[in-house]
Amino acid sequence: MPEFTKPYESRWQAFLLLLPTFAVLIAFLYYPGVETFRLSLQQTILLGTRKTFVGLDNYVSLFTSSAYHWSFAISVAFAAVVVIGTLAASLFVAYLLFQVDVGSSTYLIAAIWPYALPTAVAASVLLFLLHPSLGIITFVLESLTGTSLEWFTNGPQAFAIVALVAIWKQLGYNIIFMVAALNNIPETLTESAKLDGVGHLKMLYRVYVPLMSPTLVFLVVMNTIYAFFQTFPLVDLMTSGGPNEATNLLIFKLYRDAFEFSNLGLASAESVVLFAIVAILMYVQLRLSESYTTYA
Amino acid sequence: MATSSTSESTLARLLPEDVDAEQAVIHGGLVLSIFLMGLPLLLALIMSTQNTTEVYQVTNVGIGSEGLSNYGTVLGEYNFGQYMINSVVMSIIIVVGKVTLSLFAALALVYYRFPYERAVFMFILLTLLLPVPVRIVPLFDLMARLGWGNTLMAITGPYIASATAVFLFRQHFMAIPASLVENAHLDGVGPLTFLWKVLIPMSKGMIAGVSVITFIYAWNQYLWPLIIMTDQSKQVVQVGLRFLQAASQSGLTRWGIIMAGAVIALLPPLAVLIVLHKPLLETLAIQQK
Repeated sequence: MPEFTKPYESRWQAFLLLLPTFAVLIAFLYYPGVETFRLSLQQTILLGTRKTFVGLDNYVSLFTSSAYHWSFAISVAFAAVVVIGTLAASLFVAYLLFQVDVGSSTYLIAAIWPYALPTAVAASVLLFLLHPSLGIITFVLESLTGTSLEWFTNGPQAFAIVALVAIWKQLGYNIIFMVAALNNIPETLTESAKLDGVGHLKMLYRVYVPLMSPTLVFLVVMNTIYAFFQTFPLVDLMTSGGPNEATNLLIFKLYRDAFEFSNLGLASAESVVLFAIVAILMYVQLRLSESYTTYA
Repeated sequence: MATSSTSESTLARLLPEDVDAEQAVIHGGLVLSIFLMGLPLLLALIMSTQNTTEVYQVTNVGIGSEGLSNYGTVLGEYNFGQYMINSVVMSIIIVVGKVTLSLFAALALVYYRFPYERAVFMFILLTLLLPVPVRIVPLFDLMARLGWGNTLMAITGPYIASATAVFLFRQHFMAIPASLVENAHLDGVGPLTFLWKVLIPMSKGMIAGVSVITFIYAWNQYLWPLIIMTDQSKQVVQVGLRFLQAASQSGLTRWGIIMAGAVIALLPPLAVLIVLHKPLLETLAIQQK
């Protein structure tokens, strides 16, 4: 922070300027956030008219429920697939964008547009194009590979399809950050490595990826949060959690437990677990970015 | 001597071609990647012109007989005109509200001396730990108690304050030269005039960037509107896509209509991204820090 004397002293003016932000954050973020913890210790019966304190019962039923174990496990697996898939595909495109000699700004816009792609639009479009009996992409894939795509009834296939759509939507965001990181690498480094005759792939893994690592860590965290929190429309529109619970991600299970089965105490406990996940991820991001800045 | 000059000229002859070949591969790779990324949209555009019979002929990927009439049907008969208006109003309120509130908060954080500055900033930043799913049940309860169900307040209120926007404006203000600020103060300029006449003109790019990020984010909202808006006529366009899945004609799903709806629901954020990509990229570059 640059050292300069702050021009304004009035405390009540500062208070007034901060008040709207604070009012919204307290009313709609902190208050419900704290309430989630309180509700998670209660059981709601008779359509929410009566609440009783049940201690950690909701957590006990979560941690002993095989359905929840399953949902947790596939959510972690889903996040892993989405993170790795997104990073690999984006790195490929970003590296090409970095190396191209002419037209890079036109290519850039054409490559980052999925940043603007709403998740529900991505889901609707690919639900149709990958439809087991009507989808043109399904038809082409089946003719090329000789396998049959039956993801309305085949769990692992459904999981893969939903992950694929999740990756597609997330490419733009990742490419934006990767291209920026690549352009920040000092040109002298690139030149000297080129003189040594290092090949493209080797350059990528030996030189660029290590230098991009702060950005890559940031993207791992953001993509993981995305995979856990922003993928609800995909499951809701494409699979409704099926077949055989194969895509019943935590976020979808939470929605159902809360708003279909009105199990508010249990759903709040599920929210607390999601809070723990986001808190751990943010902490990791903070610690790692701190360690990078001390290096620099 | 002769050999070396031959090899040199061979090298000179080979090098440009070599570089061109390499660039050709890179261009080829880019065109292919971009084509694959855009292919689902291209197909959706084509299918949005087909009638149900044509859609059910799987290998038919020609322009259909409906032309643009599916768009008219989805906007009118399936109420997408109304949903689009609802989404536009919601997104604009969120953008304007968030930018205004965050500019005020950043002004206080950077240019005011007050106790516990650091704690106040942390209090704002920590809300990053509270995405909607973490507080969804109590937030729903709260809206019910306030009587805000099915109102614009319910889908905009919780979004108009933001840690990210405050953080970005704060970073930007801190980078503004101190001399400029001191001059302003020597002239006896009040804080709101200072914000309006000095800070905002110097922050146009950043304001545009935050607006794009916020608009795209707001437009993409799905889960919260789905829960809190039970009156279908007040719903946003993303959830409108959910209603469309039930659209059928003699038992056949009307995919042409659904594709038209999907294209419509994509256009506003896509247009915003294309027009304002420059400030967006500059703003995101700061966000990561």
